[in-house]
Amino acid sequence: MSEKHGKHIAIYGKGGIGKSTTTSNISAALAEAGYKVIQIGCDPKSDSTTILRGGNDLPTVLDTLREQSKVKIEDVSAVGFGGVLCIEAGGPVPGVGCAGRGINAAVELLQELNLFEEYKPDFVLYDVLGDVVCGGFAVPIRDGIADRAFVVTSSDFMAIFAANNLFKAINKYAPSGGARLGGVIANSIQAPYAKSLIDDFTQQTGTSVVGYVPRSFTVAQSELFGQTVIEAAPKSEQADVYRNLARFIDEHQDSVIPHPLNGPELKKWARTWGDRIFEVETGVVQKMESI
Amino acid sequence: MAHHIEGSRNSCALHGALQVIEAIEGVVPVIHSTAGCGVQHFLGVNRLNAGSDRFGGPPVSNSNISEKHVVFGGSSRLREQLKNTVKIVEGDLYVIVTGCSTEMVGDDIPAMTKEGRDQDFQVIYANTPGFRGDVHQGYQLAVKALIEQLPALGKGEQSSVEGLVNIWGIVPHQDPFWAGNLEEIGRLLEGIGLKPNLLFGYDQGLSSWNRVPNAALNIVVSVWGDSPAMLLEERYGTPVLKLEGLPVGSAAGRFLQTVSDRLNLDLTHTENFIKSEEKRLNTYLASLADTYYRAGFQREFAFVGESSQVAGLSEFLTGTLGLIPRTLIITDNPPEYAREALLSRLTGLVEGYSTEVVFSEDHAEIIDQVRSGAAELVLGSALEEQVALALGVPFLQLSFPLSDKVVLSRGYSGYRGAAALLEDLGSAILSN
Repeated sequence: MSEKHGKHIAIYGKGGIGKSTTTSNISAALAEAGYKVIQIGCDPKSDSTTILRGGNDLPTVLDTLREQSKVKIEDVSAVGFGGVLCIEAGGPVPGVGCAGRGINAAVELLQELNLFEEYKPDFVLYDVLGDVVCGGFAVPIRDGIADRAFVVTSSDFMAIFAANNLFKAINKYAPSGGARLGGVIANSIQAPYAKSLIDDFTQQTGTSVVGYVPRSFTVAQSELFGQTVIEAAPKSEQADVYRNLARFIDEHQDSVIPHPLNGPELKKWARTWGDRIFEVETGVVQKMESI
Repeated sequence: MAHHIEGSRNSCALHGALQVIEAIEGVVPVIHSTAGCGVQHFLGVNRLNAGSDRFGGPPVSNSNISEKHVVFGGSSRLREQLKNTVKIVEGDLYVIVTGCSTEMVGDDIPAMTKEGRDQDFQVIYANTPGFRGDVHQGYQLAVKALIEQLPALGKGEQSSVEGLVNIWGIVPHQDPFWAGNLEEIGRLLEGIGLKPNLLFGYDQGLSSWNRVPNAALNIVVSVWGDSPAMLLEERYGTPVLKLEGLPVGSAAGRFLQTVSDRLNLDLTHTENFIKSEEKRLNTYLASLADTYYRAGFQREFAFVGESSQVAGLSEFLTGTLGLIPRTLIITDNPPEYAREALLSRLTGLVEGYSTEVVFSEDHAEIIDQVRSGAAELVLGSALEEQVALALGVPFLQLSFPLSDKVVLSRGYSGYRGAAALLEDLGSAILSN
């Protein structure tokens, strides 16, 4: 890639953990702060930018590529809340083709179309499908496409597991010019131990939490209206949570190469937390972190 | 441990499958892969063998998939390609063979095959991505597909054919003399009253393949014939006879005797046939005697080739002709279980003499071995020509790839093959 335009941020995490909601709210908050933002959904589900666009249809890059040989940016983008340019990479129908290669092809096409040179964004956010299931989904963190990656996780073990997998991918690509980890976004914080558990995980892996997003009724409500919290409830506490996250991403450039746990280490770590949670539930009082 | 391979002579599974299909009359391959797979087959295999097959060049049907088909799946492209192929190329059977990209994507080939059959196309498929293995693996995969799927097309012959014998393990083109070798083995089996089912080459079409389940015996010439023979034993209970390489000269006689024993044939008839064949070969050997001594045929030799060739031909060269096996290099990567048997057989070919037996497909290693062995005669492929020149010794090309001869029906198996080998070897020595 030639000269880079704007900061390119990739956001990963287990499916259903709230990546798209988090990414869209960060995009909205950055736009609200006056920045020019592009959000690219890298998921065959192609619903990353829905709440930025009020739920309107947007043809995906790959669908358009399939139907017409020449694709223009106008065909595959829509301007959403606060002027955020929304793009969905799209993918094949389930069970057919190779979605990973699709992400690769879509990102390549956007580069060929000089999207970044012409639009001159301050921020480009890549919202990438759940887990790093194959090489294709690691494209945004390879080859210096994104500068930093953020991982969204809850305190559920499977979400932590997916985060740890992403750490493995970053660990692999970062030394050869791939993205480094900007930090962990702790989402859906509800259980009393959730913060401590995620904090401990980041400590174990040499990473840090950049923001805690509490589980919130406002988010659910805004989503049902097809909007981000920034748009639907700009004065809510939740909106400030996202604004703080956006500010962090804007102001902090620090990044690390994480040290993922290997299989047995991760299981062992999880087991210790199983015991701790049990003790909390049964009322054993110790010098617990934030409980 | 991982190691690099320089100048391998083993192509990929897709090409092995194509070599199988192209060697059967009336069978049309349809490649489902990127364009390069077909071209590579032409450049890497057919051009290196004198005489290319019917579809061995650019005319081979290929779905030539592009990125669009990788992302969204290439099944519809294959459907279209199959329909067009059936219109343009006349055939008794169409075989879809897949390459790496379409297998990575996971295109549903069985469903496309079924669709073709629903439209009354005679079509089967073989999953043959190059990453599954080399050319020998491709031979096994294609043969397995034919054995397993042909009966479902409902064209199998139900009536049994008495004395029918299938021959497995000769990989078309990977053995440059495959056609001649098969024909000679067939001629010998006919000589003892059997009906050989050669399966590849002249006049070998679908009817030969439909007869496969009815055979009384499956003869396995190389380790690559093991899997089809085992499959047929499982399915139809057909007994198996494994050879220790191509039967050349008197080994052919022993082979015929074993077959006779196994099938309870008239032993006197077999012995008489062997006697007449031996007599003929011995006459030629006697005619050669003068030249043999004058030109000093008895030399230490290096042989680079496939396991069945090296094992079969070396035994004749040492046992009958009195040559000395210095370095034997086996290039077809036989499985572990077969290596031990080959080692113990080949290291002791000449009593009291230690033969170096090496398994390698790395050209650099092969050249080093041949050079350090300092043999007085080199038998191998075109790739060994330079080292033979450097050693200043006679050189005979007889394993894949060949560059200096046209091979149509010539072969080195059996009795006639033994005589052909004498001619070619003698010519190589005399012209040096």
